[in-house]
Amino acid sequence: MFVIAILLIASICVAACFLIGYLWASRSGQYDDMHTPAIRMLFDDRRASGK
Amino acid sequence: MRTQRGAEDQYLILDDKKVQQEQVSFASPTRNRVTWTIPSLHCASCVWLLEQLHRLDGGVLSSTVDIMRKSLTVDYDPQATTLRKIAEALASIGYAPLIRLEGESRSPSSTRGLYTRIGLAGFAAVNTMLIAFAQYLAGPEGVDVVLRNTFNIVAAVLSVPVLLYSASPWFTAAWASLRQRRINLDVPVAIGILALFIRSSVDIIGGRGEGYLDSFNALVFLLLIGRLFQQKAFDALSFDRSYRSFFPLSVRVFRDDEAEIIPIEQVRRGDFLIIRNGEVIPCDSTLESEAAYIDYSFVTGESSPVESLRGQVLHAGGKVIGNAVTLIARKEVAHSELAEMWDRTWKRAHRKTFLTVSDTFGRWFTLLAMAVAVGGAMLWLPDWEMAFNVFTAVLIIACPCALTLSAPITLGSAMGKLGGLGIYLKNVGTLLELYRVNAVFFDKTGTLTEATHHLEYYGKDLTAEQLIAVRAIAAQSTHPVSRSIADGYSDTNATGVLEFIGTGIAGSAFGHHVLLGSRDFVVDRVTGAERVLGKHGVTHVAIDGHYVGCFALKSSLRSGIAEMVRELFRSGKQSQVVSGDGSIDAPVLAPIFGEDLLNFNCRPEDKIQKIETAQAQGDTILMVGDGLNDAGAMGTADVAIAVTEDTATLVPACDVIIRSNAVKGIAALLDYAKRVKQVIVACFIISIVYNILGLGLAVMGLLSPLMAAILMPVSSLTVIGVSVAGARMSIKHLQRKIEETTACS
Repeated sequence: MFVIAILLIASICVAACFLIGYLWASRSGQYDDMHTPAIRMLFDDRRASGK
Repeated sequence: MRTQRGAEDQYLILDDKKVQQEQVSFASPTRNRVTWTIPSLHCASCVWLLEQLHRLDGGVLSSTVDIMRKSLTVDYDPQATTLRKIAEALASIGYAPLIRLEGESRSPSSTRGLYTRIGLAGFAAVNTMLIAFAQYLAGPEGVDVVLRNTFNIVAAVLSVPVLLYSASPWFTAAWASLRQRRINLDVPVAIGILALFIRSSVDIIGGRGEGYLDSFNALVFLLLIGRLFQQKAFDALSFDRSYRSFFPLSVRVFRDDEAEIIPIEQVRRGDFLIIRNGEVIPCDSTLESEAAYIDYSFVTGESSPVESLRGQVLHAGGKVIGNAVTLIARKEVAHSELAEMWDRTWKRAHRKTFLTVSDTFGRWFTLLAMAVAVGGAMLWLPDWEMAFNVFTAVLIIACPCALTLSAPITLGSAMGKLGGLGIYLKNVGTLLELYRVNAVFFDKTGTLTEATHHLEYYGKDLTAEQLIAVRAIAAQSTHPVSRSIADGYSDTNATGVLEFIGTGIAGSAFGHHVLLGSRDFVVDRVTGAERVLGKHGVTHVAIDGHYVGCFALKSSLRSGIAEMVRELFRSGKQSQVVSGDGSIDAPVLAPIFGEDLLNFNCRPEDKIQKIETAQAQGDTILMVGDGLNDAGAMGTADVAIAVTEDTATLVPACDVIIRSNAVKGIAALLDYAKRVKQVIVACFIISIVYNILGLGLAVMGLLSPLMAAILMPVSSLTVIGVSVAGARMSIKHLQRKIEETTACS
């Protein structure tokens, strides 16, 4: 039965990693605008000419 | 664009230090940040163009578009460029920014907090569920006591942040409504959440079981998802525009013999204002110049310009056409008629919307749930433990979470879908009001017909020589109608030209004597006037002393109108036209509506009266209009739709703004509102069935954690599924109607 405790600890650790990643993403504004990036990826990348 | 502001120096005000401070959200010596709304932003190429801004202005470090909010954030180097230069660069490529001065700035609604709440709740929900599963599936011998206690403590630790942070919006909302001595649907939700948590803590501490923490976390998670839908719908709206958005920021005034540019708020009575071609008059003023042509299409929706003479009053919102004019301000900007009319119409009477309905429902629901909880507990009374269990179980199961989810999710996804079709709702309740509509009143110009006119000649056929003579004489006048008759003709072959300001022009060219002007002007000077064509002609023509015909504005019907109106009639909705214009378009509209349902020459008061009469007969009225001349009628009607040619036009108070190409979808929109209502009703029934089922179990004391863990998320998920699917599937018809001929320009 003790194996379940190990499983639980592992699963919480993994989930906590995801949670931290998610919180970082939402705090850094990645969820602020979910429509424009979908359009932006359609544009050709230009070579770094000037800015 | 209709709202183009002609002045090249209208952004001069952005050089002002104080204004700059207000505009810039982040400032450092090398990098400043400003965010502006760009009303004309609408498609992928707009995004591309605006994000290439650094090519137009070297001082721009980066520019980022948010297409849903129609905003542009520009980072720039204050040493290399200025706010004014950026604004001018934007205006020069057709994306004039909408600049708000102090007190008008829009607080950026951030969804970040909501996302954090959802993340936390989701994390806790999944892990508590995992813990609970171990116990549900442990079999008859159960889980080892030490392990079980550890599990429960871990679950409780995971749940505390959910209670304190993720669920806090419902506690604040419930508390706020209780303090106003009102009970809305937030109250039973908050009670349910709290009951879940307290009951679970008591069970865990007393060692009686694992509690309902998995249900608790899943519930908060789902409720937050519902809130996210709502938030998304609100984000897509930009209803917070006032007449000020359409006015210039600054105006040129003469003070102490010196021309200076001041913000329009600083205009005082008696100031001399200079307004040039294409500029908007900021406040009610008296005309000081000889004559002026004013386009009031902003205010009235009518695009034919009005001629004014010295000493006449010009109203705020008119656009000057032709030569620059001098005006004397009569009132300050905020006290002008337009500003006051705007304020009046936007303060619409609070009507019974869905939200108040759900408040009433919430009150009864809460009282009923409390009664059942107390009653159920009494039944078990000598057994205090069982009584407490039943009491909390009833409160838990009575939590109307599925109910609170159904309306926001259905309406939220409907609003999002509609926004994509060019139909913008003011709030979620509007769809439910549209559903009740059974009579539709249409304004004509700009609503059923295109807002722009072109001149058409009616009368005797003219020879080529006569025609060129008419054009040559017309070319001598600065009147906008003459200009369009002249149609680009600019040679000066005319002789003996006499212009009578405000009435007409006379002269000779190519061997013909031509008279052009108002009806009276022409009729008084010619023979054969008994055949004068309808009084609606804008400009009448006589050649060599004989009346020949007139030039009149001709408007054309928008596409798909006839079919849309037929569809309205088929579904039993009365439709009629209330127009301020003369009956010149009657032949076009009669086959569609029938003679009886066309009302021409209506003044704004007549429109209001017609609507009130229909309302007295018990009809629910939808008014579709476009200009401020419809504002009164739209305020009186139960629901109002404003039609706008481009999203930057001034629209009167309304519940829905639709793009002009979506007018043909109005019948389908009403139909859609009906379907949405049906979806919500279906969800109501589903959630009530679940609640009754659960209540039965709760009162009998059979609501085990496992039952709750299945019943509550399943009911919420069914409702979410039905809501989203319902709102999306039933929009197909409307989508087809609107997209038939529409493409992104």
